[in-house]
Formats: sequence, C-alpha cells, structure tokens
Amino acid sequence: MASRRRTLLKVIILGDSGVGKTSLMNQYVNKKFSPQYKATIGADFLTKEVQSDDRLFTLQIWDTAGQERFQSLGVAFYRGADCCVLVYDVNVQKSFDNLNNWREEFLIQASPSDPENFPFVVLGNKVDVDGGNSRVVSEKKARAWCASKGNIPYFETSAKDGINVEEAFEVIAKNALKNEEEEIYLPDTIDVGNTSQPRASGCDC
Amino acid sequence: MHETDIHDLSDDADYAAASQQGSSSINRSDSSKRSSSSDLEDAEIVYMKDNVAIHPTQSAIEGIGGRLKLLKQGSSLFMTWIPYKGQSSNARLSARDANLYTIRAVSFSGIHSIRRHTPTIGWQYVIVVLSTGLAYPPLYFYSGGVREFFATIKQHVLIVRSSENANVFLVNNFQDPLQRTLSSLELPRSLANRTPSSSFPDSPSEGNSDNKHTSEDESSDSIQQNNKQRQKSQDPARDISIQVLEKFSLVTRFARETTSQLFRESLDAHGPNEKRRTNWETSANDVEIAPKKVPVPSDPLELDKLSKVWGQPRQHPLEHQEWSIFMDSEGRIVDPDALRKRVFYGGVEDSLRKEVWPFLLGYYSYDSTYAEREYAVSAKKSEYETIKNQWQSISVEQAKRFTKFRERNVLIEKDVVRTDRSLSFYEGDDNPDVRRMHDILLTYSFYNFDLGYCQGMSDLLSPILYIMKDESEAFWCFVYLLERLGPNFNRDQSGMHSQLFALSKLVELLDSPLHDYFKQNDCLNFFFCFRWILIQFKREFQYETTLRLWEVLWTHYPSEHLHLYVCVAILKRHRAKIMGEQMDFDTLLKFINELSGQIDLDPVLRDAEALCVYAGENGVASIPPGTPPSLSSQDASIYQQQDDEVL
Repeated sequence: MASRRRTLLKVIILGDSGVGKTSLMNQYVNKKFSPQYKATIGADFLTKEVQSDDRLFTLQIWDTAGQERFQSLGVAFYRGADCCVLVYDVNVQKSFDNLNNWREEFLIQASPSDPENFPFVVLGNKVDVDGGNSRVVSEKKARAWCASKGNIPYFETSAKDGINVEEAFEVIAKNALKNEEEEIYLPDTIDVGNTSQPRASGCDC
Repeated sequence: MHETDIHDLSDDADYAAASQQGSSSINRSDSSKRSSSSDLEDAEIVYMKDNVAIHPTQSAIEGIGGRLKLLKQGSSLFMTWIPYKGQSSNARLSARDANLYTIRAVSFSGIHSIRRHTPTIGWQYVIVVLSTGLAYPPLYFYSGGVREFFATIKQHVLIVRSSENANVFLVNNFQDPLQRTLSSLELPRSLANRTPSSSFPDSPSEGNSDNKHTSEDESSDSIQQNNKQRQKSQDPARDISIQVLEKFSLVTRFARETTSQLFRESLDAHGPNEKRRTNWETSANDVEIAPKKVPVPSDPLELDKLSKVWGQPRQHPLEHQEWSIFMDSEGRIVDPDALRKRVFYGGVEDSLRKEVWPFLLGYYSYDSTYAEREYAVSAKKSEYETIKNQWQSISVEQAKRFTKFRERNVLIEKDVVRTDRSLSFYEGDDNPDVRRMHDILLTYSFYNFDLGYCQGMSDLLSPILYIMKDESEAFWCFVYLLERLGPNFNRDQSGMHSQLFALSKLVELLDSPLHDYFKQNDCLNFFFCFRWILIQFKREFQYETTLRLWEVLWTHYPSEHLHLYVCVAILKRHRAKIMGEQMDFDTLLKFINELSGQIDLDPVLRDAEALCVYAGENGVASIPPGTPPSLSSQDASIYQQQDDEVL
C-alpha cells in the first residue's frame, strides 16, 4: 500500500474567489489560459505526472470553490492532502488578508498529523494586471507574512502569462513529496527532501 | 359492456400504421373468433379477477383498471377484460383507451401463447399473444391472481410451457406432440411449486452477477438440458418472435417494447446470462465502459425494464396553439395540473418559455387573468426599480464605509463576467445583458440581504434572463426560483446537506448494492453530486438542454424532489463502472465531473420518473420534511445567519 500511496501527491489550492486558482491549475497542467473559466462549484482536480530525482509521481491538484460559504465541504476534499497552496490576488487586499483564514481553516479540516510542519506554498497571482500599477499588496509584505508562518515558500505568479507557474509547482511538488515521505517514515528517501530544501529557502523568506 | 365504435382509432399511430399494412388486426381476429356478448350470456364464469390493469401510456399513474374474466361456454374458453368506467383521472384518455383496449371475449382457440412476467418489483403481468401475431397490452394483476389464472386455463385448455422460456405458455400448440407431452409433464410441478416470490430471486443479497441465474433461467436450463437437440430444429419462442416482429401491429408502443423485450430475452436465452444483464448498461451508457475489474452486484431494480414500464417517452414541446387551449378567454389557466403534466412530459417550445416559465415558477398565479397579470407586471416593475435604487443611490463616499456592499458587488462582478460568456447572448465586451445580470444579482442581495449573493446564483439567473429578456421580469422569476432553491445557498450549507442526505436515502432505497458500495468507500456524503444539486445540473448539459430540464423540474410533477431522482438515475446508469472500477471518493468525483456534457437527458428523465413512481410512498418517506425545494421549509428562519461574514 505504501508504494501505491507514494505515487500520488495530493495538493489543495485555496484562496478567495476570483484570485485565479483554476487558472493557475490549468496553466500548470495544460499550459493554457482562458479569461472565461467559470466559477468553480464544489471541487475538481487535474493530475500531472512529475519527475523528481528519477522517480515518477502523480500530482493531483485540487481546485476548490473560493467562497467562504462552501468551506464546510473541505472535510471531504482536503483529507490526505500533502501540500496546500494558498493563493491571493496582489491587486486585492482582502484576498491577502484572508490567507490566514484559509490556512487555519485548512489545518482544522484536513487535520494533518503534524500541523506545525505541514507544507504550505503561497502564490501572489495576477502580477501582470495593469503592468503592476493596480497592485496593492507589496512583495515585501507578503514575504513577511510567509516568514512569520514558518518560512512558507512564496512565489509571485501570473497564470495568464505563465510567469513563475512552473517554478512554483516544482516547489509545491517537492514539498508535497517531502511531506509524504515524512508521513510514512521512509528514511531511505529523505534525501529527496534535502534537495528541495535549498529551493524552498531560496525564496528569501 | 361498452359498445362504442372500436374502429375509431385514427389518432393511434401504431394502430393506423398496422391497418395500412393490411396485417391482421385485433378487430379482425376478434370478429372471427369471438362470440358476441349475448352469445356468452349463458357462459359460466370460471375465473374472475378485479384490479387487473393496463398501462397504455407507460406511466403507472395512467393505469386503467378493469376486470378480467375467463368464461366457459360448451367446450370453448373465452377471456374478457373490461375496464372500469370513469376510473382514469384523465377523462379524454379514458374514453378513448377504454374502447381501444377492451378485450371482448377472445376465444382461446385464437390465442397463440401467454407470457407470464414476474418482475422483482412491481406487479406481475401477463401478455397475451394471438395466433395472428398480435399482442394485447400487458395485463397487470394489482391484486395478484396470476397463478390462479394459469391454473384455471389449464383446467379447460391444453397449454404447454415453452421449452425455450419457462414463463411462456403455448396455447393450442399441436405442432410437436413430443414437446407437448414433455412440457405438460413439467407444468404441474412448476405451477404448484413456483410462487411469485420464489420465481425471481434476483435480489441484491445474491450478489455476483457473473454467475447468477434466476430460477427462471434454471428452469429453462433444465428443460434445455433435456431438449437440447430438439431445440435446434424446433424453437417455438423464436417462431413467435419472428411472427410477431413481421406482423407487428401492436396497439401501443408499450406493448411493442415489452413484447420485444420478451422475445429478446428468449432469444438471448442461449447466450450467456450476463449478456442480457448488462445489456442496458452498454447500450444506454453515455460513456465508454471500461473492462470490469471486479464482479458488480446487479441492479436490484433492473432499471431498463422498470423504465419501460413506469417512465414515459418524451413528447414534443408545448407550442403556441396548444398553449392557448390551456387558457380560458380571460387568460386563466383552466387546469394547472394538466399544464404541469404536459410540460413535464414535453417541455416548452423556446419561443413560448417566456410566457410559461413565470407560471411554473409561481410568479404568475394560474388563476390570474391577462389584465391582472398586466397590472401585476407593471407594479412589480416599479417595486424592482425601488429595490434597485437602494444600492444605486449608494455614493462612492458611502461605499467606502460599506465593506459588505463593496465586497458583494466585487464578487458579483467577478462572477457575471465568467457566466455563460460563450453564449452569443452574453458574449462580447460591455454586453448589456451581463450588466443586467449584475444588477439583478445585486438587487436580489438587497431584496434578500440575509441570503445575499452566493456563487452559483449567476448560473441560476443566466437562463432566466436569457428567456425573459426584461430585467424586472427576470428578477422576479429569479426571486421565485430562489424561494425554492434559496436554501441551497445557506451559509451553513444546511439546504445542501439535507438534499445530499435525502439522496443517500433514495440510493439506499433504490439501489442498495450501490449504497453499500458508497458506504464501504466512504462516499456517503455524496459531495460528488454537489454541483448537480446546487445549480440544478446547469453545468452538466448544453444550455438548451438545461432549459428543458429546468422547466420539467419546475413542474414539481410527479415530485418536487425529482431532481434527486435524476441524480439516482444518472448514478444507476454508471453503477457498473463505478463499482467495477472500484472508484474511491476522489476518482468518483472526477468521474462525475467529467460526465458533464456526456449525459443524455431524455432517457435519464424517463428513468427518474420511473424511479420516482416506483419509489412511491417509500421515496417520499426517504426525503426528510423540509428538504429543498420543499415549500414547507419556506419560513424566514432558513435565511437567518450569523451577523458576521454576510456576503
């Protein structure tokens, strides 16, 4: 069973409505962007095969509804998650302010075995909008918050232009894998976690 | 006895077609074989059974009850079935069908065979096939009595069990003396020992479909063993089927389908049992069936058959001329139930939806006149403008200190620009109808501030605005729709949870193996059906098809919870794949999401109706009181929310 489990890495994308969760997922998996993705109802996921240190994994990326009202569904969707991606829109203050709520809600509903060390990744999306002129959340502010929550890796992305999306998901996959290995206590593969460490800490957070 | 002209059948397409072909008709065979009623006055009644019914329109609701008799005159046996007078709820149907289906003393010398059918659910029925190849519609024995029926026949006429199918009894079969002798020997045992309940032990507890044989099959198997060689040259059931298929002039489509099913079964009897069992799943499935990995418990209801008996085929949509017939001279809907029923079975022509939808949604009352509606529409228009003005008059300065308003507005703005924009009605920059959608939703969030705006509402509004065009009219239709579906958006999700719970109870009732499977695999929360229910399958069908489904659901005929039966129907169509591939929750969710655009609505509706009618009171009992869209839940408390996070 352990070997079967290990091939699948489950990643949950959370964040306010309209920050670009569906777009990020589709940009990463399908290399496509559409301005007309419908609001996600319930939940859905896409899968992508990823290679890490000569091993193949299936990344299962869950896209969820952004409205708070649907959070009670999380119990069913979050369970077994290996990494949680928190997304906000750098042009919307409120979506950044809500990151903490999303993080706490996730920890409550997914109840991972080691919440202190559960891997999160934060993405500040829509950096392309208006050439950055409509931006209201500074990178510095975002990184400070990530640092305060246990050095959460941080990326500034544009799902529309494909900026930093691939890079972000590489770290997401590595951290999910690291979590997965730790969860099932397999010391022989801990080196994978080590290789991801420099990347994660390379974000100045 | 009715003496109305039985030849007045011009409006029955099947019958007319048959007559044109010049094939034998029931009338002809009747006239040659039957005695007149006066001739039979001195006949002895050897069997009489009340509550024997036919279902001419394939809907259980439409059954015509009657009395079945066997009459003995001299050495001849006759069968009659006379419908009760005025039993049907639909008078128009009753008058015609009563004449059409009355069986006036058919002599057994003109009967080829009688097929007994004992479904696992529902009533036993028999189909009488005449020597001409014609078949009467199935006769349903509401109060039992099939065994006695055959036993009585056997006392008076030579009947033999078909070697091909243990449930087919051949009358006057002198072609093969050997078979007659052999089969006659079989008959007493089977009639004496086989009670209806033991004759079809196709229960889910028996599990394994791959090796499963019903006793019906076992009986025929044993006969087949004895008669294997002979069957190759003599195959009575096949003879019948060829005869019937060639000469088909059945009175109803119902009988045709049931009878063809009957013969398909007997033809399939040589092949593996599994073939028949999975037949509907492969033929009616919307997606490719992957190879089964594990044995799947068979469907206890055999939905394919159930659907034929209890579900009606779709009709053409209601159009203008017919619509006008539903109204009196002043514009009142004379018979709202008849209208609802009509729309349920056929939907509404697109150009007529604008007129009909406000009634279905409860915005216009059925007993209102043209004049009253005209007045109401104008009054409602100013009421709408008043509410709309409440948010339109909020100044920029005011909005800065009104976070909830700003956030609600932003959320709506984000959603309307991504709702059905590929539709020409909503496409393009600065589309005025996208603006209208925004305004209606924001106005609604002031009209019902407690409920506010929730994602999914734009999906519900889009088709309404598309049909109604007028902003105020669309708003009020939307208001009335949310009178029913508002609880779907409750902050605590109670409306959704109660529907998902009711759905799990219905699956337990209508497909216990599937329910057990969901239970074992931690899927009983039914969250994979969340999107279906929240927005009434809006994302699952093409736009036009969604309009059709919605108007059907809005009729609340035959149940206000038909949408839950639609869920069951779709799940049942894919049960073999779900269980066969051992889907876990995640895989199941993905599978369900990907059914979007793959579901064929009409058969699903027919299945849903069949399931609903079959479930009957048990179905009602499975759905807790107040489950949306139940109107009994419409008290103000459902919208009461905690004061924080009103969005």
